[in-house]
Amino acid sequence: MKNNIRVERAIKNITQADLAEQVGVSRQTINTIESNKYVPSTVLALKIARVFSKPLEEVFMLEDGD
Amino acid sequence: MKSRYLFPYWCRFLGYALILAHVPVVVFKQSLGFDLNHGPVNNDLLNSHHVFFMTTTLLMAIGLFIVAFSKEKIEDEQISQLRSDSLQWAIYVNYVLLIISLVFTNDTEHILFLNLMVPLAFFIIRFRWVIFRLNSSLSREG
Repeated sequence: MKNNIRVERAIKNITQADLAEQVGVSRQTINTIESNKYVPSTVLALKIARVFSKPLEEVFMLEDGD
Repeated sequence: MKSRYLFPYWCRFLGYALILAHVPVVVFKQSLGFDLNHGPVNNDLLNSHHVFFMTTTLLMAIGLFIVAFSKEKIEDEQISQLRSDSLQWAIYVNYVLLIISLVFTNDTEHILFLNLMVPLAFFIIRFRWVIFRLNSSLSREG
C-alpha cells in the first residue's frame, strides 16, 4: 500500500509530530507509515484522512501485488 | 486498537529495580558459598535453601514480568504489533531451546529455570531492540 501523507503534510504545512499528536500515535508510527514500512489499521488510516479532510483513497492507495 | 492488561509506564522502572536488586543478593550468596552446605536433605518447604531460592527467583521473575508488560510512553497500534511479534519470537525461541534441552539433557531443574527466564528475557530484548531501531531510523531521517 502506498500513501501520500508526506505530500499532504507539505500542503497543510504540518510536521510529523503535529500529525502524530492529532491522530494520537507516536511520531515513529507516522514516520514508518510514510516510508511504507508499516500499514496502519483502518481506524488510524481514516483518522489521518480526516486530518487532511480528504477521502481515504486520496491519501492511501493500493499497489500492484496488494 | 487499545492494549489492555498492561502495567502503567512507571512500572518498567520498578521491574528493572527488582531485577537489579536480585543480582547482588544472588552473587553475595554464591560468593559466601551457602550452596555448599545444604545439610541433610530436607523436603520441608520452609528450609532456608528453598525459601531463598523461591524469593530470589520470584523477585527476578516478577521484575522481568513487569518490565515486559508495562506500557510504553506512547502506546499506539504499531507498538502493540511489535509487542505481539516479539512475543511470538519469544515463544518460538523458548520452545526450540526447551526441546533441545529436553533431548540432550536430563537436568529438569535447570530446564524449569530456563523456561522461566527465556521467554520474558528474550521478549524484552527483542522488543527493546525493535523500538531502538525504530527510534534510530527516526533520528536518521530527522
